[in-house]
Amino acid sequence: MNATLTPAAPAASTRTKHLVAPVAELPPGARKIVKAGRFEVGVFNLKGEYKAALNICPHALAPVCAGPVRGTMLPAEKVEYNWGMDGEVLSCPWHGWEFSLKDGRSLHDPKRCGLKMFEVVVEDGNVYVLA
Amino acid sequence: MTAPVLEAQPKTEKASAIRVVDCDVHQLVGLAQCREYLPQPFKRMAESGCAPGHLGLHNPIGVVRSDLVESDGKNAASKPDGIGRTLLDPYGIDIALLTGGVYGFSTHPDPDYAAAVCSAYNSYMIEHWLPKDPRFRMAINVATQDAALAAEEIARVGSHPGVCAALISSATQHPLGQRMYHPLFAACEKYDLPLCLHPGSEGTCISNPPTAAGYPTRYLEWHTGISCTFQAHLVSLVCEGVFQKFPGLKIVLVEGGVSWLPPLMWRLDKNWKALRSTVPWITRAPSEIIQERVFMTTQPIEEPPEHRQLKQLFEMFDAEKMLLFSSDYPHWDGDTPDFAVRGFPESFKRRVLAENAVELFGL
Repeated sequence: MNATLTPAAPAASTRTKHLVAPVAELPPGARKIVKAGRFEVGVFNLKGEYKAALNICPHALAPVCAGPVRGTMLPAEKVEYNWGMDGEVLSCPWHGWEFSLKDGRSLHDPKRCGLKMFEVVVEDGNVYVLA
Repeated sequence: MTAPVLEAQPKTEKASAIRVVDCDVHQLVGLAQCREYLPQPFKRMAESGCAPGHLGLHNPIGVVRSDLVESDGKNAASKPDGIGRTLLDPYGIDIALLTGGVYGFSTHPDPDYAAAVCSAYNSYMIEHWLPKDPRFRMAINVATQDAALAAEEIARVGSHPGVCAALISSATQHPLGQRMYHPLFAACEKYDLPLCLHPGSEGTCISNPPTAAGYPTRYLEWHTGISCTFQAHLVSLVCEGVFQKFPGLKIVLVEGGVSWLPPLMWRLDKNWKALRSTVPWITRAPSEIIQERVFMTTQPIEEPPEHRQLKQLFEMFDAEKMLLFSSDYPHWDGDTPDFAVRGFPESFKRRVLAENAVELFGL
């Protein structure tokens, strides 16, 4: 594997709060890519739940957060198609690797490959990412 | 020639009894020998010589070794004792998987005729060959035009103690993973018979062109291109979910070459990471599935300029577990056991020469 699972987030004591946008600018289904200190981060509103991922695909370093967010065919025990994770799967715009925005894990190798995720907080009507 | 085959001490009593298994021995039995077992109207068809044609490509060496023609004018490979004298005895081969045969009838337009010829062949072999030498086992030949008929034939003879595999032509009308072939896979799984793919009929009669680019001009090109058919079948088998649907099924790629496997797996794994959602039942890297469920016979083992390059290749996949020695006797491109494994790491010669086959075929 040339990709590794989500590294540990920076220790709480060293993280800085970075403004992403007012809540009103990030409705469900919206996203915003922002600078957060030395990181570029994609912040997504998944049906009211905010998720933030490093904007670097672990595969070929593509700007993964610019890719489409949609559902996918769920990993299946049988030879059958089961659509699911609607609105939760980020697909890299370069090579199509899929990642769950819930936890950053890749669909093809969730144990070993995923996106680096950041914590998101909402305070005083603003969305912040901790990085 | 003598065969200094194996030096290492056997690990088990069973392994000590079987030191070399040859997984591709072509006894020269064809339509002529099968006629008496054919019902009408197929007997009449056989008597008229009705058979899939060949491409007409020229091999100046001849497909069957000329040095095996004996004083009676017959090729040793056409006689049970001839195979013993010219292959099994001199090379210390303990078990020969007799592959035949008539699998090329899978390219005949008539599915009933093809199935009948395979049945006749299997009956003939069970009656006239298997009893002749305790070293003989056979891969029953089945035709692929109608997988339900193939499954019936497996049910008919698949439990015979001398039968340890089913064998089909790699020249088919469709990529092999597709669902019209699934009844055949179900039967192989039920009767615990690994399914062997064997080349030779690529491009003939109703099969597809022998290469994806079309019909090559010469036998040399045709023969080199056989690996391409195997690659297409392997990708199809994996992606159609055959190994999930039939968890007991094992596939043996006979005479399809070896060296192409690692880069094909790399390519398939890479593409799968991006296109996984089109085959969601593939929940781990295709290369993992292949290395657990697919086996390859060695002949014609590639001959790179340096033996060490073959060793490097074997580091790129689970060669120790996947490879099965085969001679392809009596064909012009055959490998003897000592020749086949001369470039192999010492550490897994025993597995390739015997143990993998003993486990796979339940010998």
